[in-house]
Amino acid sequence: MRRGLISWSPEEMPVSTLESRVSRLQQAMREQGLGAVLLHTSFAHPAAVHWLTNFTPYWSEALLVVLPKGTPVLLAALTQRVHPWIREVSHLGDVITAPGLGVSAQSYLDEHAAPGARVGVVGLEALPWSTAQPLMNSGWGPKLTDISELFGQLRQPADMTELRLAARAERMAEVTLKASPMNAGTTNAWASVLEAKARLDGAEELLQRIAPDLDLSPTLQRLEGDFPLGEKSAVELSLAYKGAWVRLTQMVCSGPQPASWLAAQSWFERGWRSMRAPHADLSQAGVPPGRMVSWTVQSCVGAEPLQVVAADAGFAPCALPAQALVLLTVQLQLTDGPWYASQMLLLGTGDNESRRLKDVAGL
Amino acid sequence: MSHLLRDQRCARVRHAMAQVGLDVLVMVGDAWRSDYLRFVVDVTPMEGVAVVALSLNNPTCVWVQHPAEAARWQQALPSAVVICTADPAAAVLAHLAQVPANAVGLAPSQVAPLSLAAGALGKTLAACTAMLDDLMVNKSLEEADALARSVRLADEGYAVFKQAARVGRREFELVADVEAWFRSQGCPENFMILGSGGPELRSMHPAGERRLAPGDLVTTELTPCADGYYTQICRTLVMGEPSQAQRDAFAVYLQALEAGIAVVRPGATHGDVAKAQNDVFRQHGLGDYVTSQYTRVRGHGLGLFVDGPHVLEGVPLVLEENMTLVVHPNTYHPVAGYIVLGDTVRVTATGCEVLTTTPRELFSVPL
Repeated sequence: MRRGLISWSPEEMPVSTLESRVSRLQQAMREQGLGAVLLHTSFAHPAAVHWLTNFTPYWSEALLVVLPKGTPVLLAALTQRVHPWIREVSHLGDVITAPGLGVSAQSYLDEHAAPGARVGVVGLEALPWSTAQPLMNSGWGPKLTDISELFGQLRQPADMTELRLAARAERMAEVTLKASPMNAGTTNAWASVLEAKARLDGAEELLQRIAPDLDLSPTLQRLEGDFPLGEKSAVELSLAYKGAWVRLTQMVCSGPQPASWLAAQSWFERGWRSMRAPHADLSQAGVPPGRMVSWTVQSCVGAEPLQVVAADAGFAPCALPAQALVLLTVQLQLTDGPWYASQMLLLGTGDNESRRLKDVAGL
Repeated sequence: MSHLLRDQRCARVRHAMAQVGLDVLVMVGDAWRSDYLRFVVDVTPMEGVAVVALSLNNPTCVWVQHPAEAARWQQALPSAVVICTADPAAAVLAHLAQVPANAVGLAPSQVAPLSLAAGALGKTLAACTAMLDDLMVNKSLEEADALARSVRLADEGYAVFKQAARVGRREFELVADVEAWFRSQGCPENFMILGSGGPELRSMHPAGERRLAPGDLVTTELTPCADGYYTQICRTLVMGEPSQAQRDAFAVYLQALEAGIAVVRPGATHGDVAKAQNDVFRQHGLGDYVTSQYTRVRGHGLGLFVDGPHVLEGVPLVLEENMTLVVHPNTYHPVAGYIVLGDTVRVTATGCEVLTTTPRELFSVPL
């Protein structure tokens, strides 16, 4: 629930980029006959609204209303006193105080949307009931339609603005991991250094999961309390920079890197290179040098910054376009213990391999 | 201690479920609203949505959206059935269709999704949420003790903040220092906003890139958590020596805080606590500044969520022993600017115990 630096740099996030994104959505709205689109945002699910406006709520929740023309309007459950801050960090039309988001959305649609128009909602099924109920019970209820798939098709591939921000976030995460103390001893000592480094460099957010002793447990834990670090441990950093989220995983060994880790890394690189749009998976990766525990492909296609779009189990594959920005995460069980890896990628297609984000020219 | 509290809280929930005839309670949470899940099963979601079905007669079932989350939840709840799935809501509905249950409830209203609440489960939302709210507001002795332990983090964290505040440093650098310190203490979570500037400042906000300057009022509220329980401290400092205007303004806030705390006792209401603070401002001709135009709340409950029941005039919530709240007359002052001052208190049998130990001063930081 914490937030570091939240700001808007028009150099890094030009108004023209935001307006272009909104225009693409409005074009799609016209093609689909939608009179309005609603996007919910909260601390936990900020990505869709952020993509269109640069706004991330540090607190509470809000609803963005996109009409076929004009700059989107934010209905904000945050108090009016913070409206100047909202305007400072985002590109919006109106900002309207809306303690009851659903009721306010209904009123706004009554006033501004074409009567009887269909209203698209990104993530309709996931909309909090406190917001959804007034809308469902209003005349707009039958007009609400889920447009998650449509939005996902607009969302990826990421544009250059987003790629630059993600690349910067990735560099920040790499530098943060390099700052890991050699002999931290405990998770508190380790996590503290990582936190300081990332946030002093301007990270908006840093979430850490650490497996302190891989000989005892492979589980990446949320850090609550202090745990001694074993000979082998793993850290997963999820870092946000100006709304762009990346995730890096690092294996740490007090001694020389085990040969098994090097073999796993080689397989992993072959694996991510082999991934192809539209269905990113590891089917062409070959046999891993150990048991596959899990793999996931995550991408920003909706309200979650890193949404699982493919996995080894439990998920129907989601079609992604070539050059989609994705995160591949893998957990293997090697003969000498667990092993994790992750990589930010641009998805390949046909004869073109997937590429690491950091290898993309111009970023 | 956290597992002992979990077992105690879960037992209270099961008892409450049995009393109202619920076989299964379905709860939803995410990184924003994790408190209900934390209360019942003592696990905080980190990404995606988590849905928990707590059954009186069958193992607890959990649905999450990422394998790493599944592994983490399974480790925390070894006897639970933990499933990773793209759609936890659909999964729990399918589960409920197969598991005979006389009565199923759903909570909380704030985060339960349309897909779960639009059907029959939605009719139970208000009552089940209220049931859990009541359990969470009325803390056990052990819960209040846990919260009291986390107050140390808030006090010491503020000392770190004061040390970090130097002319020329950017707001986000202060946050970096404080967050790093919290991680060094094993504190996983802190809600923190701040403000820096002069009389033009009307509120706090997330850290920006502004550099602290001489004469700035620098406000912050730190809300760290330990064992899941959040406490809060609100303090104001001045870069350099406070001006007389700043001192005079601060004196009103101090008087208001003391007046609010003096009212805290079993039987008083949140509204009484707010009115006591607001009346001080009115007495000083600052009645306009206790309205919603300038202030959100005059405090709020504290527990497994950072923002419990609001302390506002008219809020009828009656204080009972072991409830915990922050009292804070934070608002805009027309001469000095935005000032904050707030202490965490615990309701006792006869009054309250002030848990915050940081002096109630308008601190001065050397230039």
